[in-house]
Amino acid sequence: MTAVIEVSGLSRHFGKVKAVQDVSFTVEENTICGLLGRNGAGKTTLMRLITGQEFASSGQIRIFGENPVENASALSRTCFVRETQVYPENFRGKHALRAAERLFPNWDAEYAARLATEFNLPLSRRIKKMSRGQRSAVGAIIGLAARAELTFFDEPYAGLDAVARELFYSHLLEDYSNHPRTIVFSTHLIDEAARLLEHVIVIDGGSVLMDADADDLRGTAVTLVGVKSAVDAFAADRDVLGADSVGAIASVTLSGLTDADKALAVSSGLEVAPVSLQQLIVSRTRGTIQPEEARS
Amino acid sequence: MTAIAPAFHAPSSRRVSATVRIHLANPWAIIVTPWLITVAIFLLNFAIWHIVLMAAGGKPISPDAFHYNGGITWLVFYMVVVAVQAMNQTFSFVVGLGATRRDYFLGTSLIFVGLSLMFGVGVSLLAGLERLTDGWGVSGWFFAPGAFATMPLWEIAVIYIVGLLFMFFVGSAVAAVFVRWGSNGLLTFFAVVALLVLATLWAITQASAWSSVGEFFTSRTPLELALTTVPFAALGGLVGYALMRRATPKG
Repeated sequence: MTAVIEVSGLSRHFGKVKAVQDVSFTVEENTICGLLGRNGAGKTTLMRLITGQEFASSGQIRIFGENPVENASALSRTCFVRETQVYPENFRGKHALRAAERLFPNWDAEYAARLATEFNLPLSRRIKKMSRGQRSAVGAIIGLAARAELTFFDEPYAGLDAVARELFYSHLLEDYSNHPRTIVFSTHLIDEAARLLEHVIVIDGGSVLMDADADDLRGTAVTLVGVKSAVDAFAADRDVLGADSVGAIASVTLSGLTDADKALAVSSGLEVAPVSLQQLIVSRTRGTIQPEEARS
Repeated sequence: MTAIAPAFHAPSSRRVSATVRIHLANPWAIIVTPWLITVAIFLLNFAIWHIVLMAAGGKPISPDAFHYNGGITWLVFYMVVVAVQAMNQTFSFVVGLGATRRDYFLGTSLIFVGLSLMFGVGVSLLAGLERLTDGWGVSGWFFAPGAFATMPLWEIAVIYIVGLLFMFFVGSAVAAVFVRWGSNGLLTFFAVVALLVLATLWAITQASAWSSVGEFFTSRTPLELALTTVPFAALGGLVGYALMRRATPKG
């Protein structure tokens, strides 16, 4: 496999604020990677750094093996779509799509038109008069139809309703299998997006908290429920992500359990329940900040 | 300051031309509005000439009465505003979608050159029409007033084009200040410019050099004077680009 993104020892400080702090990871070619973390964790700054829009304080970034800063050949293979994308004054939906067509070499105009119909996007409306959902749809369409080898979505669908989000996810998966490419997207709607992800990088307070295959993460974390003494005995010396107890009944969330471990837990009279990616990440990031309110 | 020194990479002609087209996607601010206001100012002047002639009661007035007019200079100075508006509105969009700052600046510079040619040639053609109609029938000189009246049209075109280019590229530096530091940056910038102008005036007075300054302007033809701004236009462009290279898109 080839690494499309290689980041090592990357930091970005804004005055005293350490937005990104000594981050290292790689993203393999033709995978869907989730960049997860709380608001303000540094996800957007990280994507801006990787696409050469922000300047690193220290460390190295390589995309397609090259430094992205002012690198036209590397950057023309990328597309970065964000929820807060700024459009020129008086731009209409169709202007944005036409501009994208000229910027992205692999642009599929027919696909973009189809997506616009499916998302019910009023293409002749001025973008600043569009609803939040419609503006999100403009970004989502640009990101999909650009077919860039390396595509970043920074919560582009945050304003979309549940139906439109489902539409986005299914288009993303379908188009990804027809035109394999590397997709990095950030979201706080972790459970929704979990099924799309092949790799997960969790950022917390500007640092990488987890960097693992999504399948590994999904399989290894479980919540055990049972009599407090039995739970405590089992959890001793294990990687405890979270613990809770009501009277004599306790629950504990553990990571890194093998199948044998799970069998052992069952034979100790404990109830074993799988942990969703979202629960896992919430319990992991709770240590530093309170989990955010679930958004509808 | 940064550990990541950008290497040189060839610009992407695709993204340079995309930048040009994105500027043109909304031609109102950069083309239509300047022409409309120019025509409006001309029509106001035209009306005033007629009012003056009416007031004179049909009596012949001095043939030089409408010889001097500064109305057209608004167009040249307005290009600073056009440059700032155009760059502020498109920079975050174009660079945010993945174009390099260099591609963006090249595309934007092409637009500025194109607009200078269009306005410069356009105004000169109107100056030609002005001559053909003997000053719109009332000896009124708007597009080529004063010293321009006796110049060949090509010379008028060159002076306008050079003047417009100067304003655009000074404008690009002003725009870069605005894109990077916002309105506070702009205020600081103009405060510094005002101080520099004051300091220059003071230095000229101190050196009792006003007569040589006057001589500099009177010993040269308008065309020569216009051409002396070319290096300053280039400097403005370089400063604009240097500042833009470290700018980050909003959003």
